[in-house]
Amino acid sequence: MVVNRGVFHAGIMRKVCTYLAFFCLLFWVGFPVYYMLMTSFMDPPELGAKPPNWIPRQPTIENYREVIIGETGQRGSYGSTTEFSRMMPALLNSTFVSVAVVVSNLIIGGMAAYGFSRFDFRLSRVAYLGVLMTRVLPALALIVPLFIILRKIGLINTLWALIFTYTIFILPLTIWILREYFDTLARDIEEMALIDGATRWQAFRMVVLPLAVPGMIAVGVMSFMEAWSEFFFALTLTNSLTYPPLLMSFRNLAQVNWNALAAATVVGVIPPVIVAFVFQRYLVRGLSEGAVKG
Amino acid sequence: MASASISKGTAQSRKHWDRKWIPYVLLAPALITIFVIIISPLLTTIYYSFHNIDLIRDRTTFILFDNYIELFTSRLFWKAVEINLKFAAIVVTVPTLMGLFFALLLVEDFKGRGIGRTLLILPWALPWIVIGLLWNWLVNAQFGAINGLLYSLGLIDKYIPFMANEHWALIFTALASAWRQTSFSAILLLAALQTIPEDLYDAAKVDGAGMRARFRFITFAWLRPTLTIVLLYNIVLGFLQFDAVWIMTQGGPGDATMLISVLLYRYSFINFDLGMGAAVSNVLGLITMGVGLIFVRLIYRSQSTYA
Repeated sequence: MVVNRGVFHAGIMRKVCTYLAFFCLLFWVGFPVYYMLMTSFMDPPELGAKPPNWIPRQPTIENYREVIIGETGQRGSYGSTTEFSRMMPALLNSTFVSVAVVVSNLIIGGMAAYGFSRFDFRLSRVAYLGVLMTRVLPALALIVPLFIILRKIGLINTLWALIFTYTIFILPLTIWILREYFDTLARDIEEMALIDGATRWQAFRMVVLPLAVPGMIAVGVMSFMEAWSEFFFALTLTNSLTYPPLLMSFRNLAQVNWNALAAATVVGVIPPVIVAFVFQRYLVRGLSEGAVKG
Repeated sequence: MASASISKGTAQSRKHWDRKWIPYVLLAPALITIFVIIISPLLTTIYYSFHNIDLIRDRTTFILFDNYIELFTSRLFWKAVEINLKFAAIVVTVPTLMGLFFALLLVEDFKGRGIGRTLLILPWALPWIVIGLLWNWLVNAQFGAINGLLYSLGLIDKYIPFMANEHWALIFTALASAWRQTSFSAILLLAALQTIPEDLYDAAKVDGAGMRARFRFITFAWLRPTLTIVLLYNIVLGFLQFDAVWIMTQGGPGDATMLISVLLYRYSFINFDLGMGAAVSNVLGLITMGVGLIFVRLIYRSQSTYA
């Protein structure tokens, strides 16, 4: 067994166990992902091979061409459809929604977190508790009334419906994490700035904001991931404008080209995967800070 | 002297002025939008659950607890509860144990740790819809990777249609959820493990604590609060999961993967019985909130013992 650092003395057995465990991790994460990646570089006839070709015999990028530039060429017989031409606009929409959610979430959530942190009055405590309760609600349960409200405002089947909804559902977490930053950081320095005659806004901008940057990046990354991945609201509130519900509609096609579907899946997860890898450190921090107090 | 006291006075009056309206301006956007998008739908759902909503004749009748009585006396609901409990059992145990296993591995010093840590994030970075598709791929009866692997190893000579089998369908939908959740659990546990001060172990060694004692009294004790939270998240997911299951099986075959959330979807969007759908969602909300409250209390208790 591999146990925490410092517990075992270095030894050959320990090394062997470590690498066995490492192999388990590689297989657990790598095998499913590898299989999908490999499928995306195959032509449909190769997919049914028995036993499967673990490495494509004739690797092809046709699936990606089909998904990215919507060109089906001679591949109609594989069950390809023009549906895939909706892919790129959907990815653009997803990008727009996700970025807008990050920005609006940071502004609204940052304001509220700062308010909760600096002004401790009775309403704020009640409101804060209410904010936290929303984190354990099943989103599924709210969809019908939410649909009715958004239809009244005239936002149904627009990207704004998603931006609005995602921002608000991620707000509690944002407020939760940023409040902690505002609470622990810079309180004394800010007080000093205030005594020196700085206005609240100046103190906030020059003292608090720079120190809260790591927390804001963590929150921003997490809201990007949420917004990019969310499926159920996107399915019910819009007509497959963004990537997740569109992927589902590909899946439901009567005759689906599985290899092109694999390519579509791969293309669509590139943005969140890049964001996750690049901001790995912040992400881990955000996740554990959001969770440890949850 | 005089000038100093004047400037102090203005700073104070400005502060006083601040206190009056700034907090409301700061909180208003968040609180108003949260009310519109979360609280008011929540209240509406509670209202719906006490009514019979006839969408065709556009008539809403107050029926008090009839929806709940119908729900609690229906076999379908208890079947969903039973299925959901089995599902949750997998979604709680597998990610917690595997997450702990991977976290303990990745805190070790070995070549490949960096790759391992990066790879660990990958499942978490994938949307649930992709998790569903990915696992559909693995279990597919014509070209699934699991079938392919078993066949290549010579363990089967005919591909198994996993998703046509009630038990396999439930196990694999739960494993798909567990797959992503394992990464999440491991990330949290790894972050907590990295904060254990090394000298705790050294001191314990000096005191003659054996390996097992060190694991139990240092590693495990240190991880306890995080483990509690990981368990909470996994339990909540066990009851709130919908996306991945819906993509993989839509509740089938038959009703084999009909979680409470799937039942809720069926009532609301297939039968269009909004009253019953609302009743199911309130029951589901109470379950997750109950779990949440129990855990919040546990966390506070453990904090007061250890702090």
